[in-house]
Amino acid sequence: MVSPYLIHFIVFIAFTLLASLYFSFSRYDMLNAPQWIGLENYNKLINDPVFWKSLWNTVYFTVLFVPTQTILALILAVALNQSLKGLKFFRIAHFIPVISSWTVVLYVADAIFNPRFGLANDLLVKMGSQPQQWLNDEALVIPVLVAVAVWKGIGYMMVIFLAGLQNVPEDLYEAAEVEGAGILKKFRHVTVPLISGTTFLVLVLSTITTFQAFEQIYVMTGNSGDITAAGGPNNASMVLMLYLFQQGFAFLKMGYASAIAWVLFLILFVITLIQVKMQKKWVHYEK
Amino acid sequence: MNQKKVMKLWMAFMTVFALFIAGCSDESSGKGGDDSSATEITLGFYSSGSADEKMQELIDKFEEQHPDIKIKTQNAPYQQFFQKLDTQIAGGTAPDVWLSDGVFVQKYAERGAAKDLTEWINQDLNKDDYYGLDFNKGPNGSYWAVPQGIQIASLFYNKDMFDKAGVDYPDESWTWEDLKEAGAKLTIDTSGKTANESGFKSNSVNQYGLTFFSITEGWMTVLKSYGGGILDDSLKQSIIDTPENKKAMEYIVDGMDRGIFTDPSDLQAFQSAMSPFPSETAAMRIGIYARVLAANETGVNYDVTVLPKGPDGERFSPVIANSWIINNDASDKKAKAAWEWVKYWVSEDDVQKEWAELGEAVPVKKSVAQSDMFLNSGDKPANKQAFLDSFEFAGTLDVNAVWSEWVKKTGDNFNRAFLKEASIEEALERADKEVQKVLDEFYENQ
Repeated sequence: MVSPYLIHFIVFIAFTLLASLYFSFSRYDMLNAPQWIGLENYNKLINDPVFWKSLWNTVYFTVLFVPTQTILALILAVALNQSLKGLKFFRIAHFIPVISSWTVVLYVADAIFNPRFGLANDLLVKMGSQPQQWLNDEALVIPVLVAVAVWKGIGYMMVIFLAGLQNVPEDLYEAAEVEGAGILKKFRHVTVPLISGTTFLVLVLSTITTFQAFEQIYVMTGNSGDITAAGGPNNASMVLMLYLFQQGFAFLKMGYASAIAWVLFLILFVITLIQVKMQKKWVHYEK
Repeated sequence: MNQKKVMKLWMAFMTVFALFIAGCSDESSGKGGDDSSATEITLGFYSSGSADEKMQELIDKFEEQHPDIKIKTQNAPYQQFFQKLDTQIAGGTAPDVWLSDGVFVQKYAERGAAKDLTEWINQDLNKDDYYGLDFNKGPNGSYWAVPQGIQIASLFYNKDMFDKAGVDYPDESWTWEDLKEAGAKLTIDTSGKTANESGFKSNSVNQYGLTFFSITEGWMTVLKSYGGGILDDSLKQSIIDTPENKKAMEYIVDGMDRGIFTDPSDLQAFQSAMSPFPSETAAMRIGIYARVLAANETGVNYDVTVLPKGPDGERFSPVIANSWIINNDASDKKAKAAWEWVKYWVSEDDVQKEWAELGEAVPVKKSVAQSDMFLNSGDKPANKQAFLDSFEFAGTLDVNAVWSEWVKKTGDNFNRAFLKEASIEEALERADKEVQKVLDEFYENQ
């Protein structure tokens, strides 16, 4: 008997992967059969300033987002891992943005970052500073997107950390206390090493999700769902996934989009490999 | 790997392969056209709220009139519809006839997905009876689609705001400079000063003179009435970097700089770039016909007139003819049935009237568009004639197969000039280069 999984693997995974690899070496507009053009798409990619810009933006987004979210989620998890009044309420409150759709989050973000009516500019003006254009400012658009993404994603990572924290045996803290360790020392020498496995998971997960960030940027920088308007101003928020989607589905350059996809895959693969290699240095698993 | 395992793998592969082949052949046998009495065609269209019901009514009537044709519909909201359509064309499962946004007709035509309708149009339709057939013509003279409804632009103005400011309503004598001059009196900042007064703050405007957005209701219209434009007649050559365009851009940038026109970052403050006029935050807009819906819904007291003239008296009104396309892959029988639908749509007075009642588009059939039913329906705007008059100087948005792509390149560069992040010269030069690259890449490989 042929295993059902094998069929699934061949039809839905191996075949589609090979097809997309083939497309990346072809000119393919979806409406006509693909034409083999060798390395042309990859050559074009190397000479495409928007590709490099979106790669840079993706890296910039990740570098801002991953540490910020990880550190804040950990602090939040530690704060909510003690007996507090209304503990459940706070945990749920931090989780609500996670389950909200990006469209809903957009409205919340707009209430803050709208250049005319937003809270952020109100505050700036009251403090005597110049109002800002936020999402329409080339320098600010990514930091604003990161801030909103952290707000939306932090609850999820917090839950993962909470699970990790609850696995830290209480007697280790007691032993540390006997040795005279304060709160900070306990955190540094007991908590951090013991949840390093969880931290590793959080880092890998959030790196991958930011490299694939699409929906947020599409919703927040586009205009009424127009895919070609997203990624602005002047491509300052163009990230790889969005660029891929635009090239493939809006401009019918599926071959080129496939090449972008493979480059994205290779980058993610290398980064994850590095993370796995590095983990030996700082991640401790209980035997 | 032992032999047994290899056998198993091979069998798995063959099973999948067989399934795959079966799937493919099923598809092609469907296309062969069976000889049963009724022809079933699939009709695809993008949804727009209340219009869906009307569409179904018209389809029911069509089926009554043509008992030998059955219509299966396929619809989805705009974005999803076109995304799905592209993948369906790729997979050979696209509808036999579909409604295309006017700006996408050439995208399908030049990639071989649309049927050439020249012969049928010459045979069955009297071209003088309809608006907009020529807007779907390719550069080589073939007709690729038949308009379903026409979007053509004119100048919308808010009468209450004009009255309050004591400014005369716009008329056909206006030039773009006149518009700016009037606009300055209609632009008011948060402290109540107009754009003409000293101390006016152009970065905290409460009411704009003109809302200006993107290509159709923004730069293309001004560029073309200044004698400029984006592509030459072959639609394969960029003509962006010209003195005419430079003059037009100077006009626009000055208007934005003075706060009279909305710039791209002003629009960011609105939920939709379409909302300044219906929400009474702008006194004027360049608007295609469909914009009357939102204005009527919010109850703005407005009217329309033809768009202003350029410095040399040239006028331009952008037009988008949303159109029926027949699938190039449809069997003869289905294509003919689809053509019956298209003919029914444009030539039947009843159909044209019922569709016009929705108020979404200018009717394709001239006799209906020029009838009281359309011109004097009692709904605003009173001067609907302005839309019909605009056909005299109407033109497309230089639509070709790579329209979306070059619009993005142009728009991105122009926006930088509008926000003063680049000089006009720089923006034009860069846009010209980038657009030409997009064009070359596509047409050199055709």
